[in-house]
Amino acid sequence: MEQFIIANMAPLMFVALIFVLLFGYPVAFGLAFNGLFWGLIGIHYGLLTTDLLQALPQRVFGIMANDTLLAIPFFTFMGLILERSGMAEDLLDTIGQLFGPMRGGLAYAVIFVGALLAATTGVVAASVISMGLISLPIMLRYGYDRRLAAGVIAASGTLAQIIPPSLVLIVMADQLGRSVGDMYAGAFIPGIMLACLYAGYVLIVTITKPDAAPALPIEARALRGWKLLGRVLFSLIPPLVLIFLVLGTIFLGIATPTEGGAMGASGALILALINRRLDWKLLRQALDTTAKLSSFVIFILVGSTVFSLVFRGVNGDLWVEHLLTSLPGGQIGFLIVVNLLSFVLAFFLDFFELAFIVIPLLGPVAEKLGINLIWFGVLLGVNMQTSFMHPPFGFALFYLRSVAPDREFIDKITGKLTKGVTTAQIYWGAIPFVVIQLIMVALVILFPQMVLHSLETTNVDINKIQIEMPADEGGGNPSESDIEKEMEQDMPTAPSDDNQRK
Amino acid sequence: MQFLLRVSGLIDALNERIGKLVYWAVLASVIVSTVNASLRYSINVASNAWLELQWYLFDAVFLLCSGYTLLKNEHIRIDIVAGRFSRRTQTWIDIIGTVFFLLPMAIAIMWMSWPVFMDSWIEQESSSNAGGLIRWPVKLLIPVGFFLLSIQGISELIKRVAFLRGLIPDPAAKQHSHGAPPPEAEAGV
Repeated sequence: MEQFIIANMAPLMFVALIFVLLFGYPVAFGLAFNGLFWGLIGIHYGLLTTDLLQALPQRVFGIMANDTLLAIPFFTFMGLILERSGMAEDLLDTIGQLFGPMRGGLAYAVIFVGALLAATTGVVAASVISMGLISLPIMLRYGYDRRLAAGVIAASGTLAQIIPPSLVLIVMADQLGRSVGDMYAGAFIPGIMLACLYAGYVLIVTITKPDAAPALPIEARALRGWKLLGRVLFSLIPPLVLIFLVLGTIFLGIATPTEGGAMGASGALILALINRRLDWKLLRQALDTTAKLSSFVIFILVGSTVFSLVFRGVNGDLWVEHLLTSLPGGQIGFLIVVNLLSFVLAFFLDFFELAFIVIPLLGPVAEKLGINLIWFGVLLGVNMQTSFMHPPFGFALFYLRSVAPDREFIDKITGKLTKGVTTAQIYWGAIPFVVIQLIMVALVILFPQMVLHSLETTNVDINKIQIEMPADEGGGNPSESDIEKEMEQDMPTAPSDDNQRK
Repeated sequence: MQFLLRVSGLIDALNERIGKLVYWAVLASVIVSTVNASLRYSINVASNAWLELQWYLFDAVFLLCSGYTLLKNEHIRIDIVAGRFSRRTQTWIDIIGTVFFLLPMAIAIMWMSWPVFMDSWIEQESSSNAGGLIRWPVKLLIPVGFFLLSIQGISELIKRVAFLRGLIPDPAAKQHSHGAPPPEAEAGV
């Protein structure tokens, strides 16, 4: 028994992890407990020294001093302010009027606005909920196929996962030890392409089944001509300003993602103030949600840090590496297995759990196989985006379900009895988009240039940043190197993943 | 039991207070960070103290709000399996999880981080960056944060047991989790 445990610590830890996660108690605490528990067993059998666990407070402090993670509350806060202050509503309304006369127009509007919102907020819930609240009733009113309507809203909402400034990419970059700016640049083209593929699907549907996505009838077009044009310009300006403020400055190398996030959050506050939509209640709600989100996200990170500290201590990383490098087919074999694995895992885990538990294990192996980590990250990002809309567990589907009418209702405008949207319709509607998503994964694997091209062109800017402002980006951060020094002194036994960052 | 429920009520009130107070640090952090960035690009002035203040504030938010987040039941859980069980079984899961997962881990980290704070306090350790901030306040946040989390764990434990005994209504009635996020809680990404 003893022999068995000593020889198989890492696999046993992993099995215990699965049990603990599925147990149904908050993941963060289960993870940390699992790490500590096996740490004690390891110490008992002489596999680990107590030094390892004493390194824990330093590890927690390392998370605390990580500047990049600040972007998470900033972008969340910005998204919440924008959503609650009604910018998304204005946009959808106006763009819907613009595209309305076209067959499938409302669906295009949803995709377009989804991409635009993605580029400003990076928060899936906000996108799906506002589009579900605003566009879905209009689509239902004018006879859109319920499955198409639900699918297009859920899918466009998840664009926030992959189009910068997504939280997913921030966490991914942090875990893979790459710069967030590079990750953003790499994800840009695949993100835009996805939006185009969605639109392509809508086009095919309008050709093969014209009834599924009719044009808006004339009486539903309240705005026309110059007035419409004015409204379009006016409602497009705020998001465009924000996109420049956030993404433009990051891409041009002027600002770090953290600064971009802060500027974006301030920008959102100012816009809401100008539109006279900012009140104390809205502000407090946004702060409250942001604080709770930050707490649970960072606590998952703390939990997985405890876990991986011990997992590495018992050579779990070598075990995983051995498992994955012994796969047939080298790079391609590895990529296929990893993609299948994260696709299946995404049924059970949500993004943060996947990113904090699985990515740190996969990253080093990928690097050893000569895989570019930016490309790898974007690939996994697209893959995990699928998990947001995959029935029956996808988050986006839940959000849509929570705002879609589930039984017959009397339409406010037409006064007609309108059928609701069943859960089955939401699930079926998502499937074509899941397929598109998988096609995109294949495309990213086949054409790495899609991701890497943008990287080469921005390299110059990245270098410039390092010279101009040694305080941030790419390894010059004084506060971070300071922590690393502390860490090196304090934990000679633990191979620190933070050290690999540079 | 009535006494314990009163203790639980006090802990809830404390963490509610702290949560609602500390979340303003999010706004402070946004403002500090915006001002830092603007000053750096406009007149090329950067101060390490202000840069460090950004993450000091954020650390205060996520650590001190951990108890508050637990109180609101918003730490993410996977309830694909557990979601199918009865409320009683789920309550048992929470009790077992609190006793075996949460409390040992929170108390252990609190315990281990205290000497780290003490060292920093005695040495009056300050940041190695020129003009950086003094370190002990941020190191104090670790034990305090995990303390708030531990006592909230105890409070949740009391409420769960009281629920099983039929003394109070279900404390986790508005479950926020992987299963069904309520429309008003757009916490996910």
